[in-house]
Amino acid sequence: MQDQLSALLAKASAELPLLSARPDFEAAKARYVGPNGELTALMKQMGTVPKEARPAMGKLINEAKTQLQSQLDAVHARLEINELAAQVGPAVDATLPAPDVGPGTYHPLTLVREEMCRILRKVGFTVADGPEVETEYYCFDALNTPADHPARDAQDTFYLPEDVRFANVAKKTPGEKYLLRTHTSSVQIRTMLKGAPPIRIVSPGRVYRRDTTDATHSANFHQLECLYVDKNVTVRDLKALLDYIFESLLGKDTKTRFRPHYFGYTEPSFEVDLSAKHLPKVKKEWIEIGGCGMVDPTVFSGVGYDPEVWTGYAFGMGLERLAMLLYGIDDIRYFYQNDLRFLKQFA
Amino acid sequence: MKISLNWLRDYVALDASAEEICRAITFLGFEVENVIRTGAPQLNHVLVGEVLTRNKHPNADKLSVCTVSLGETLGVKTIVCGAQNYTVGDRVPVALPGAVLPGDFVIKQSKIRGESSDGMMCSAKELGISEDAAGLMILADRPALGTPINSVLPPGDTVFDIEITPNRPDCLSHLGIARELAAWFKKDLVYPQGKFRGALAAGAATRQDLLSAVRVEAPDDCPLYLAHVVTGIKIGPSPAWLQQRLSAVGLRSINNVVDIGNFVMLESGQPLHAFDARKLAGAQIIVRRAADGEKITTLDGKERTLNSSMLVIADGAKPVVIAGIMGGENSGVTAETTDLVIECAIFKRQSIRATSKRLGLTSDSAYRYERGVDAHAAQAAAWRAIDLIVEFAGGQVVHPVHQVGEATSWHREITLAPAFVRERLGFDIADADMKKALEALKLKVTELSEVTHEAPGAQTTKRNEWRVTVPSWRDDLDRPIDLVEEILRVYGTERIPPTRVTVPGLVGDDDPVVLFNRRVTDYLVGHDFHECVNYTLRPGTEVKTWAPEGAVAQLALANPFVEDQSHLRPTLISGLLATLKLNQSRGVSVSRLCETGRVFIEKNGQNLECAAVGFIVAEDTERRWRQREAFDFYAAKHHVVSLAGLAALDLERQPLVEPQGPSTGWQEGQSALAGDLQQGWTARFGLLSLAMAKAYGLEGKVYAGFFAILPEKLAAASSARKRYADFSLQPAALRDLALVVPVATVASEVQKALAKAARAAVGTAFSLESVAVFDVYQGKGLAEGTKSLAFSLVFRAPDRTLTDEEVNAAFTKIQADVVQSTGFSIRK
Repeated sequence: MQDQLSALLAKASAELPLLSARPDFEAAKARYVGPNGELTALMKQMGTVPKEARPAMGKLINEAKTQLQSQLDAVHARLEINELAAQVGPAVDATLPAPDVGPGTYHPLTLVREEMCRILRKVGFTVADGPEVETEYYCFDALNTPADHPARDAQDTFYLPEDVRFANVAKKTPGEKYLLRTHTSSVQIRTMLKGAPPIRIVSPGRVYRRDTTDATHSANFHQLECLYVDKNVTVRDLKALLDYIFESLLGKDTKTRFRPHYFGYTEPSFEVDLSAKHLPKVKKEWIEIGGCGMVDPTVFSGVGYDPEVWTGYAFGMGLERLAMLLYGIDDIRYFYQNDLRFLKQFA
Repeated sequence: MKISLNWLRDYVALDASAEEICRAITFLGFEVENVIRTGAPQLNHVLVGEVLTRNKHPNADKLSVCTVSLGETLGVKTIVCGAQNYTVGDRVPVALPGAVLPGDFVIKQSKIRGESSDGMMCSAKELGISEDAAGLMILADRPALGTPINSVLPPGDTVFDIEITPNRPDCLSHLGIARELAAWFKKDLVYPQGKFRGALAAGAATRQDLLSAVRVEAPDDCPLYLAHVVTGIKIGPSPAWLQQRLSAVGLRSINNVVDIGNFVMLESGQPLHAFDARKLAGAQIIVRRAADGEKITTLDGKERTLNSSMLVIADGAKPVVIAGIMGGENSGVTAETTDLVIECAIFKRQSIRATSKRLGLTSDSAYRYERGVDAHAAQAAAWRAIDLIVEFAGGQVVHPVHQVGEATSWHREITLAPAFVRERLGFDIADADMKKALEALKLKVTELSEVTHEAPGAQTTKRNEWRVTVPSWRDDLDRPIDLVEEILRVYGTERIPPTRVTVPGLVGDDDPVVLFNRRVTDYLVGHDFHECVNYTLRPGTEVKTWAPEGAVAQLALANPFVEDQSHLRPTLISGLLATLKLNQSRGVSVSRLCETGRVFIEKNGQNLECAAVGFIVAEDTERRWRQREAFDFYAAKHHVVSLAGLAALDLERQPLVEPQGPSTGWQEGQSALAGDLQQGWTARFGLLSLAMAKAYGLEGKVYAGFFAILPEKLAAASSARKRYADFSLQPAALRDLALVVPVATVASEVQKALAKAARAAVGTAFSLESVAVFDVYQGKGLAEGTKSLAFSLVFRAPDRTLTDEEVNAAFTKIQADVVQSTGFSIRK
C-alpha cells in the first residue's frame, strides 16, 4: 500500500503541473480525491490493514493526502491566475482620450450666482425666489414707485395684454396689469408680506427691460438682491456687508465705496463702486457694481411693518455685469449664445 | 446735464481743481458721466512771437528755419517749422523749452535735421484749443510780443456732464449745482443781483393793445402764469459772454432774447418763453386744453396734432405753444420782433409728462417741468430775464403785468433728533457737524428743548430734538430719514467707518425652486450636459411649434420690443435648439445641452408660471476612436425620470397621457407625455420631430426631455418626509414568464395585469416583490402581429425561505389567471 501511495504521488506530481484547462483539472481532481478517486480507494483499503500497522499507515495516507491537496491547490491557483489574466485582455493605452461626450459644464452665470449665494449664506442670508411675471403692485407700487414714474412706462417695461390671466401669480388689486418684472425687488415684497421680520434673504433671478440688445444690454438679464430687515440695522451695517461680499469674492485688497444716489425704495440710497484695477479688462480704479440703501419707511408701511420698529437694508446688482467683470467678458450677448467654446471656459 | 465750471463760479467762489470739483459732485450724489475741457488749458512758456525771417531748411524740403522775435526781454529765437500757412510778419504762439503742451508734449531745445531749434511755433490743435491742425495759429489781433498766450486766448472751461437723479429737479440748473458745491466746499452762494424786482419805471406805458388779458382755463394744469410785456427791444446777437456760457454747455446762440431765455433756464431751472407780442391774436393769452384734432407747427418745423388731454398756450385764435414743451412757429421771436411777452409759468408735472410722451416730443423745458420746477423761484427768474433783456436788447417793461394763480404757500418743518441720525447711521457724528451740514444746504435748524418721550409700556426717554426748516426747492425732503441722507451726503459717504458683519444664525432654508434648480443642474452637468442660458422671450413663429394653437396668443406680450422676442417661452427646448443651431453653424461640435428656468404654460385659458428643466441630446458628430452606443428614447426617459425624482415625483408610477392635438415639436410614436399641470407638473420626452428639426436647419436626430412643475408644488414636495418600510432578509425566489401579446399592447399594461394576477395568487402567504420586463421580442417563432414580453418575478417571504412547491403552485396559478384575464398567451 505504501508503494501504491508513492506511485500515486509520483503520478500526480508528473501530471498535475501540466494541466492548463479547468475541465482537465476538475477531472484530475476527481480521479485522485473524488469519491471514486484513487486516493479515496486507497483510504477505503484501511480496513484491510492489520490493526497494528494502521497508525503508521494512517499517517502515511494523511501525508499523501496533504501533499496531493497542496499540489491540487497550486494548480488551482495557477489556473485562476491564468483565467483572470485571459479576462483582462491586452494592456490599455492610458493616453487615449475617453471616447465619451463631456464633461458637462455649469453656465458662468450659474457659477457667479452660486458663489454669491454661498458667500451670503455664510452671513445668514437664505435664497428666495419669486415669479418673473409680476403685477404692478409688487414691481412698482409696493416699492414706492408712483404710477407716473418713468420706470413704469410701456417704453421700458414689458406688459402682458389685459385679458391674459396667470393662475398662479396673484394680483393685489383686480385692476393691476401683469408685467415682466424689471427687478427682483418684487421678491422682497412677497417675502415681507409672507413672513415676519427678522428677514434676511438673497434673491437672484431673471429680470426684463424693454431695451435694445447690444454689447451691454439684453432684453432679459439677471439680478441679485439682498434684503435684511431687523431692529437697529444701520448704514454702517450695510457698508460692512458690501465690504464682506467683495472681500470674499475678490480678496482682501478689495475696496468698496458708497456714492449717494436715489432709488424710490431706499433712503438713504447709494451706488456702490468697487476698486477693481486687478480685474481683467478694467482700467478704471473705481467701477460701479450695484445700488443699495436703507429700506424706505414707506415700503415697510406698505407691507404692514411698523417703520418705527423695523429697519433694514437692501442691495442689488447685475449678475451679468459681475460675471463680465470677474471673467473679463466684454459682450453680454455671449451669455445667451451659449457657444460651447465660451461655456467650456468656466468649468 | 451739462454744467460749466466758469458759469458755476458766477455764484460760488470755487478755487478747487476741476478734479476735486468732479469728486465733490460725485459724492454729493450726482454721477459725472463725462468731463469736457474746452478752450486753452494753462500753458506756461507759450508766448506771442513774430516771424522775422523764414528760410528753407538746408536739409529738408518741407521745413523752414525762422527767426522769431519774442520782444525785448527774450529777444530773437531760431525755430525750425514745418507749417506753410504763415508769412514773415505774422504773430503766432511760440512754445519755448519748458512748455508742456496737451498730450504731455514737452518742448525742449533740439536739433532738427542738423539745424538747432529754440522751441516750436504752434497750431491751435497743438495748444489744445481746437481741432484746427491746418497750420500755425495766426494771431490776427497782433498782441504784444512776449505776452503769455493764455491772456490772449479766450479762457478755457471745464464742463461736467452730470446725471441728475429724478428726486433732485432743483439741481437741473447751475444755481442748483452751485448750491450743492457751496455746501460741500463750505463757501457762500451768491445769487445774481436783480434790478427790476417787479417795480415798473415811473410813467411806464400801458399797452393793453399788446396783451389785454391772460386767462387760465385749466388751473389744475397751470397753477401759476406770469406774463410781462417788454416793448422797444432790438433783436440782435448776444454779448460774447452769453454766447460763451451757452456754447460751453452745447447750446447754439440764436439771438439775444432767445439766448437770455435759455440762459435763465440753465441758471435757475425755470423755463421761460418769449412771444412776439404782435403775433398774439386778440392781444390775449389763454391757457387751455387743446381741442381734439387741433394742430400746431412747432419750432422744429413739424406739424403736431393735439388732443383734449394736452395743455396749450393759445391766443385769441390758435394755439401758440404746447405748454411747457415747445413753442409754435406762428408766435416766436424773429429778427423783426420789437415787443415781447415773457411767459414764466408753472405747469403740472403729470400733464407735461403725458403730453410729451404722447407726442414723442421733449425739450429742455419739458424735461424740467416733468420733474418739478420750484414755483417759489418763478418770479425771480422772470425778473432776472427782464433785467438781461433790458440790458442786452433794450426796451422797457410796460403795463399791465399779468399774474394768474400763485405759488402755493410753502412751509415745511421736520422734527429731527440727532440721536435718530446716529441710530440710523450706526456711527457717531457730532451734533454740531450735523447742524453744519444741514445749514450748508440752506436748511434752517432750530434747537428745541429736550423732549420727553413716553412710549406706552416703554421707559421714558429724553432726547434733543431739532426743528429743521426745509426750503421750497427741496420738495424731496419731508421725513427725518431724508435728513439722515442729507447729513451723510455733506459729511461724506467715504467716511462711513468699516466694521464686521455680525449675524444671528440662519433663519430659513433656500426656496424650493432654488433647491430644485440646483439639484437638476447638478444632475445634468454630472451627466455631461452643458448648461445653457437662453432668452425667455421667443418669436411667435417658434412658440407655435411648442404650444397648442389657442395658447400662442395667451403668451404674447402687449408691447414687444422686437419681433423675434414677442412671446413668453412655453418650453426650454426651443432655446436649446437655437443654441444647437448656433453651434452647428459655427462648426462647433455639440451634443448634450440643458437649461433650467421659468416657462409659461397655458391651461384652461389661463397661464401658469412653472419652474422647468430641459435637455437635448444631438447626435455626437465628433469623430472618436471608439463609438459609444447612441442616445435613444429610453435614455431620454431615464433622465426625465431622474429629474422628476429630484422633484419628489416617481414618474415610473405615473401614467403616460395622450398628447392633445398634433404636436409639431415632438416626433409622433417616438415621444411621450406624462402629467398634467392640473396635477401640478408635466413631462415630455423622446425624439424631436424630424421634420421640424430639418426645417429649422438642424443636422441629425435630436432627443429631448422636459419637465415643468408649479413652484407651489415643489414647496409641498420638499416638506414631505419619507417613512421607512421594513424589508425581508430572507432569500428571494425567482421565476421568469414570457407573454405573447398583440404588438400594439404596451408593456405597462401587460406588467400591470401580470402583477395583479401575481399578487392575487400569492395572497398573504408571501409577497410579490417585483415584476420587471427583461426581454422584448418580435419575429421568428411568433405569430404575425404579436410580440413577446418576458418578465422576471421576484417572490419573498418576510420570515422564511420559500419552498419550491409553494412558489411553483403560485406560479402555475399566476399563469392560468393571467391568460384567463387578459387573453394573452404564455410563450413556452
